[in-house]
Amino acid sequence: MSALPAPLDASPPALVGARARFASNALRHREVQLLLAILLVGGVSTALHPNFGSASNISFMLADSVTTMVLAVSQTVVILGRGIDLSVAPVLGIAAIGVGFPAQDHHLNILLALLFVLLIGAALGVGNGFLVAVVGIPPIITTLATLTIYGGLQFIFTSGQEVISIPTSYGNLGSADVVPGVPWLLVIGAAVVAGAYFMLTRTVPGRSIYAIGNNSDAAFRAGLPVRRVIFATYVISGTLAGLAGLIYLCHTGSADATSGTDSNLNLTSIAAALIGGTTLRGGRGNPVGGALGAVFLSVALTAMVFARIPPIWEPAGVGVLILLAVIAGGEGTHVRKMLQSAGGARR
Amino acid sequence: MSLLAGAAPAAPPRPGRAVRRLTAGSQDRTWVSALAFLLVAEVVYFSVTVSGFWGGGTGMLSLSEQFLDIGLIALGETLVILAGEIDLSAGAMSSLVGIVMAELWQQGLNIWVATALALLVGALGGALNGLLVTRFGIDSLLVTLATQFILSSVATALGGGSPPYGFPKSFVNLAGTGTIGPVPYQLIAFAVIATVTGLGVSRTRYGRGLVLTGYNRAAARYSGTNVRRTLLWSFIASGFLAGLSGVMVSGFYNAARDDIGDSLLLPAITVVVLGGVDIFGGRGRVLGVVVATFVLGLLTQGLLVAGDSSLTATMVTGIVLVMCLVLKIMLNRRSGASLRQLLARRFGPMTRPPPTRLGGETTS
Repeated sequence: MSALPAPLDASPPALVGARARFASNALRHREVQLLLAILLVGGVSTALHPNFGSASNISFMLADSVTTMVLAVSQTVVILGRGIDLSVAPVLGIAAIGVGFPAQDHHLNILLALLFVLLIGAALGVGNGFLVAVVGIPPIITTLATLTIYGGLQFIFTSGQEVISIPTSYGNLGSADVVPGVPWLLVIGAAVVAGAYFMLTRTVPGRSIYAIGNNSDAAFRAGLPVRRVIFATYVISGTLAGLAGLIYLCHTGSADATSGTDSNLNLTSIAAALIGGTTLRGGRGNPVGGALGAVFLSVALTAMVFARIPPIWEPAGVGVLILLAVIAGGEGTHVRKMLQSAGGARR
Repeated sequence: MSLLAGAAPAAPPRPGRAVRRLTAGSQDRTWVSALAFLLVAEVVYFSVTVSGFWGGGTGMLSLSEQFLDIGLIALGETLVILAGEIDLSAGAMSSLVGIVMAELWQQGLNIWVATALALLVGALGGALNGLLVTRFGIDSLLVTLATQFILSSVATALGGGSPPYGFPKSFVNLAGTGTIGPVPYQLIAFAVIATVTGLGVSRTRYGRGLVLTGYNRAAARYSGTNVRRTLLWSFIASGFLAGLSGVMVSGFYNAARDDIGDSLLLPAITVVVLGGVDIFGGRGRVLGVVVATFVLGLLTQGLLVAGDSSLTATMVTGIVLVMCLVLKIMLNRRSGASLRQLLARRFGPMTRPPPTRLGGETTS
């Protein structure tokens, strides 16, 4: 080793520099930030309450996050195209009761149930897509209206009944673990996220969603079928919300007239997508961030429970996390300016 | 809000902004008349089919107490939406102010002092939203989504297991269920506030600046409007009016409720949109919002009195909203002519073409 020529001595600092740059580049990614935040919150909570890190609790938190995770993916797809979908909650509810009753009364095969929820979700998504892309009503108003309409339909379909017991095949899916700490539901959620990620980043329709979200005029002039793509985002969103309905049914084992709408799933799913780095201006973000956002919400809220913070503060926790995520993402123009002037030398 | 302009670029060629602008005023007025017509039709329908709805004219008036809280939130929301922003925290603010008032009163404060302080909290909360939007440049949808969560938590926490109830009679009478003859105090208060808001938007320098801010922020800045201050005050007004609705709710139920406010937000936004206010700002009339308050309110109450469930009634309001918007958009698309012009072309004699003078157009 002593024979090594001197010039090599110069390389270690450069290497350190490269590593530091790699680390700081990685830190700019919302996904990495969120993973670190999840590990940090999880680590601190485990240190304080050993039970927090137990396989059963981890499994519980992950399984609990899957409904939000799938909904966050559907929000991400819509928001990327500069839309928003406030109707995912009742779509979830209608799907849950739509297969919940046949499952309870006639032991509907779970694969058939899967097909049904996807169809139900897609059909309701077509309603949104039609109003937004064909009629031209702004997305926030369209989905606000369909939120009430679908909510009413859900109520009418239940006709005062509720689903209270589900066949074991459903229940197993909702509560069993692949290996301790990794629930089956998470596998489904991960598959959805991976599929959406592939679709959005590697296929032409997916890329056109980004293009349209960035600048729909430019996309239109470039020859992209703007209306068709926007229409498709709502159908995808509805379909995924339908799937989330089946997951909800399996996980909770029940469904009634207000499933979905009563637990604020609309806003929580939007929150998860935003925390995951998707911006409301469209064209920026990806489903992995949204999924991690959902897991982070679940972990953070469970940590609050372990810290004996009363559950009424859960919404406040979500609100603070949204603000933090927005400020950390430098989405506010003035925040960005402040950071830049404070960072001074940083480019 | 302009960021939610999602949808799709309207394919049929549309006249330039300036041209549409000139016809906007008359279009908006036509929309208000259409709403008024709908309102009359609705009242007639329910009076004939639902017993107890008409009540000699007074039954309907007392029904208004059931939805004026939505109307108040809608008025505040109108100011924010006209300026091109949105306030999702108004519902939670309504709950919070009601609870703060009740808690202060329970601590031994005079009820009116408590009300004043609680309304101040509402205005301050609105200011917080406004400052986050204007000083940090964060989207109002994000800010108020976050503060909505936070405010509703604070309201529930302050209220505790059983929020205070049983307010002094004078308060319940004036803020809640009292009437002068057949006219509820709430209705009078709403009328006064709506008039002030309407005149404020259409007749004052601030109001013109507000609408211009929503229509074209850069133009507003160049023409000397202090955009930040205008936005800030619209959020303060929204927080204050939402708070006032919370006080009304407390008076009406004679109990502080932390569970009602959140459910008022979506109907309020529905009312604003149905009232003809452009969700992206810069266009709309307060009068339209007032009429829409009664259209939706009486529709809901009519269905409820007729024995439908509240979820069905909500669903019907959603359907009405969609149908109205579809109608509006279809009519607007046809060559950009106003509803009146279209009807005139279809049924009436030839009318003069719309005035083409520049400036001086009315929007609100």
